[in-house]
Amino acid sequence: MSTSANEILQGRPRRSGLLLVCVLAFCVLVLSAQAPGAGRPRGSLLQSWILSVSAPIGRAVSSFSRGVSGLADSTAESFTAREENARLRQELARKDQELFQLRARLAQEDRQKLLLSAGASLPSVKMAAPVLLVEGRAGGQNALIGAGSSSGLVPGSPIAVPEGLVGRLVTVGTTVSRAQLLLDVTAAAGARIVKTGELGVIRGDGRGGLKLNNVATTSRVAAGDAIESAGIDGIYPRGVPIGRVESVSRGPMFLEIRVAPSAPFSRLTDVLVLEPSPAIAGPVGGGGSGGP
Amino acid sequence: MKFGRVALLLVAATALQFFVGGSGHRGAWPIDCFLIATAIVARGGNASRAVLAGAAMGFLEDAFSQGLLGMNAFAKAALGYLFAVLSVRVVFGGSWAVGAALAAASLVNDVVVALLSVLLLGSPLVLFSPESLWRAAATGVTGGLLEAARVFPWRDWWERRRLRRLR
Repeated sequence: MSTSANEILQGRPRRSGLLLVCVLAFCVLVLSAQAPGAGRPRGSLLQSWILSVSAPIGRAVSSFSRGVSGLADSTAESFTAREENARLRQELARKDQELFQLRARLAQEDRQKLLLSAGASLPSVKMAAPVLLVEGRAGGQNALIGAGSSSGLVPGSPIAVPEGLVGRLVTVGTTVSRAQLLLDVTAAAGARIVKTGELGVIRGDGRGGLKLNNVATTSRVAAGDAIESAGIDGIYPRGVPIGRVESVSRGPMFLEIRVAPSAPFSRLTDVLVLEPSPAIAGPVGGGGSGGP
Repeated sequence: MKFGRVALLLVAATALQFFVGGSGHRGAWPIDCFLIATAIVARGGNASRAVLAGAAMGFLEDAFSQGLLGMNAFAKAALGYLFAVLSVRVVFGGSWAVGAALAAASLVNDVVVALLSVLLLGSPLVLFSPESLWRAAATGVTGGLLEAARVFPWRDWWERRRLRRLR
């Protein structure tokens, strides 16, 4: 007879039931201790420790996974074109990075003439980091990034790819950090419609899309219009592409605007970590509209 | 199942999660390795170990993927208990039933995490997103295949194959 059958016959389920209650109560206590309160940052010290301890296995397995993935990709490609393809990819990545920096700088310089008082910092790229893991559950969208405090990263640093904004770092371990993606249902950022210049708040819908909120019904925004970060939330720099308007419908007070993200979230393999905004150089996580 | 094996399973689930999650094709087959590992522990029928294993797997998953530690731990501890109780009292009808139970458990896990997020973070309720449904399907199919592989008479099959070759 199995252990389980013995357990039931001897009335031991009561003991395991009690253990379950204790474990659930412990979880609730841990959750309550971390629930965001006034001025309390998201991402606990315990989480940071776990990230640091699990970093070696994560990095090793992830690089192995990348290796396997790369091998599968490269065997599918023609053998003769492989080397040239790799070289071109590297060159393209470098050009993309340059283009990203130049685009952001140009946008910044253009607006500085009009908005000298805004005083936001230039969205300079700090470093490139590999994406070790992307997890999405119940509207939450998070990623583990293979760089941490040893590389000088701090919580709140925005992350992006040449195509657009990706999210921000929330918990920073020694060599691994956790980032909240812009698609997360609790993420938000100040956004601007490039054509009309109107401001709104972009939020993740938890289903792989974005919603632009707080845009008046008098707006002339249309499908296809580009959306970029506005730099008004104290977290994300201005002028970084976010996406394009997919559909616009009339709500009771504001327009309901769905936005298709420009960053390829389903195929993220590397991200650029940007310098954190001066507004979050102080306390961890900052306030702003980057989270709940 | 002994504690050493449970620990090994925990490491294997973490490694597999990183292997799938680190690849550029992560969306193709997004299995919940931690849930499958919890189900494997619970399959032994020891509810206490299933609860502890589920909580450990959940805490690890939370460290990688959630704003708050404990949400997945809560869900997986409860699911571990449920699996252990069910594995004793209900006679599962083979790999199909195991697959269906795992798919349902994956959805329940998502619902619990979503409700906790609403309660503790005040985030909007997101249930049964395409990603969540696809993960449930992938986890269910993978669990069903593992169960089918477990009950398959490998030794007989190998023997028959050997005899066929000899003839």
